[in-house]
Amino acid sequence: MLRYHSWKVAWTFFATCMLLLTLQIVYGFIMGFAHMGFDGLHEWIPFNTARATHTNLLVVWLLSGFMGSAYYIIPDETEQEIWSLPLAWIQWGSLVVVSVTAVIGFHFNWWEGRKFLEIPRPLDYLVVVNVLSFLLNIGMTLFKAKRTTTTALTLMVGLTAAALLYLPGMITFDSQVVDSYFRWWVVHLWVEGVWELVMGAILSYLLIKLSGVDREVVEKWLYVIVGLTFLSGILGTGHHYYWIGAPEYWLMVGGAFSALEPLAFLGMALYCVTMARRGERQHDNRIALYWSVGCGIMSFVGAGFLGFAHTLPQVNIWTHGTLVTAMHGHLSFWGAYAMLIFAMIAFALPEMTGRKLYKGWMPEWAFWLSNIGMVSMTGAFAVAGITQVYLERRVGMDFLDVQEAVSVHFLGLVLAASLFTIGIGLYIWNFLKYGVLANASVRTDSAPTAASQPAK
Amino acid sequence: MLSKSQARLFFVGATAGFSGVFLWLTVDTIRQVPERSNQDEMTAEVVAGKEIWEVNNCMGCHTLLGEGAYYAPELTKAYDRRGEAWLRIFLRDPQAMYPGRRKMVQYDFTEDEISEVIAFLKWIGKIDTNGFPAEPDMRPKAQAAPASTAPTSTASTATTIAVPTMFSTVCISCHALDGKGGVVGPALDGVSTRYSEAELRAWLADPQSVKPGTAMPNLSLSDADLDSLTTFLMAK
Repeated sequence: MLRYHSWKVAWTFFATCMLLLTLQIVYGFIMGFAHMGFDGLHEWIPFNTARATHTNLLVVWLLSGFMGSAYYIIPDETEQEIWSLPLAWIQWGSLVVVSVTAVIGFHFNWWEGRKFLEIPRPLDYLVVVNVLSFLLNIGMTLFKAKRTTTTALTLMVGLTAAALLYLPGMITFDSQVVDSYFRWWVVHLWVEGVWELVMGAILSYLLIKLSGVDREVVEKWLYVIVGLTFLSGILGTGHHYYWIGAPEYWLMVGGAFSALEPLAFLGMALYCVTMARRGERQHDNRIALYWSVGCGIMSFVGAGFLGFAHTLPQVNIWTHGTLVTAMHGHLSFWGAYAMLIFAMIAFALPEMTGRKLYKGWMPEWAFWLSNIGMVSMTGAFAVAGITQVYLERRVGMDFLDVQEAVSVHFLGLVLAASLFTIGIGLYIWNFLKYGVLANASVRTDSAPTAASQPAK
Repeated sequence: MLSKSQARLFFVGATAGFSGVFLWLTVDTIRQVPERSNQDEMTAEVVAGKEIWEVNNCMGCHTLLGEGAYYAPELTKAYDRRGEAWLRIFLRDPQAMYPGRRKMVQYDFTEDEISEVIAFLKWIGKIDTNGFPAEPDMRPKAQAAPASTAPTSTASTATTIAVPTMFSTVCISCHALDGKGGVVGPALDGVSTRYSEAELRAWLADPQSVKPGTAMPNLSLSDADLDSLTTFLMAK
């Protein structure tokens, strides 16, 4: 039974995540095979199309997951419906239309050609309108709420900052150097800044629900962790400024502060493990706890540890722009953000459907296979990347000769990716089999903790 | 023990403080960029080249200043590494240069557009990048390892004729001479003993007419280039 109408919107966003993730994986395989030399699709889907589609689908499904989480968490935390349900539905529809249009455009050479921000400018404006309507909806809900929590506010601040930081990416510069400088304001300050705020808030919510640890304790540490994130992450942007034509002091500033970035992720990992252990009132949903604690740990390994592995200038001068970056990229996005959305969905689905299916082979195998697969993929990228760094960058072999030398590791990558895909397939199958809101009605009696707020 | 309000103060303080420092450094960076990137040499042609770079999402395969994707070569120093002649021939028909290997999209650029892309890459190559990409530091060690045969012999035969730029930038990327160069086409040592000057010239002018289906691209060479290349090769 649904407690709020808003949760139907949340569910639809989560279903959208599953669909876009599936497409993202398909394009990943296209690139993996192309690296091995099987580029039969080159005429229709050249590598740059596959690449832009792969990364942009990731961004859209993660944003979709964040928005779905907000439409789930905010009503629960404030104990009332979202301010405007019709606006929420329009916002979902337009997000889908914009992202599908963008992805189709990529197949017809329609894009902006700036890494991660390939969506063409006219669609950028629609993204802005979309995100503003989302923020208006969430903001008005919080404004009218009788009860606001630190978790809800942190989520709101994180989402607002993410929207504001999209704007520097829309300014046109003639100089490649300045262009690159401000592009990182969006990309870096998103994933190593405000998205971590969103991540911290969602994890706090999940840990409060799953472990029963006192809200005051969880939220206090939430402040400490997001404080550490910004302390290291803001000036850590400097690790993108080493070699683009920016002044030399960025080597020192970027190196020092990005070396601190793992601390925030370590904090996040320890926070998850500690809170999960301390809880007195354990929730039965063990799978959601797996994903939550897994998210904390894997974000440290992928974003923190593997980020540190090539962030110091004396290492980065060799590894910058090689497959080593792909190694770090895959595990960090998986650990920090994909697993977070998976945790949220694993928690929310049984609450929404009322089916208390907390155990079973399917969700457990989904967790283990996808994680083993992703760790192995990271290993394949690491071996290929390190080989590339030595042969091409340090010995000076020709690029294409080196690519042929490392192509065998892409066989390893594709095999690992197959394991990963089986795991994701099980998760989605589980979603479809037990998570569909067939004839789900919204409970008309009041929610247990919201006697004064019957659903409309 | 840390209270919640102290934790909040830490968060707000760290965020505000470091945002301030970041903005200050940004102002200083923007002030220094014109000099470090030779902004006065950033002509309309360079800007047009950047536009072409973006509308075709070149970063979806290549890296520039180390940023982009890892499917195709790093291009920060492409102008220095390849030279204008090579880049022009390559951009006319990217798939002709390395037959059977990794493909680049055929964009059908006009000659003006090719000039703009080259101008852009030339400008990029002069940016002060704090030393990126670094020179391969292990190359001397890797090459010194096996007992090398007398290296002086390489200069002996061709001392009289200077190596044409076209040869040292374009031909050498597929063909080897004196053990140096690419492996796509056959090595060119002793090529004058196998072909006459007229045959070589006809071949270079239009490979397809001599041997239909050959992987050797038509390089659209000028008469001057044909002269210098055949003269050079006949001495080999």
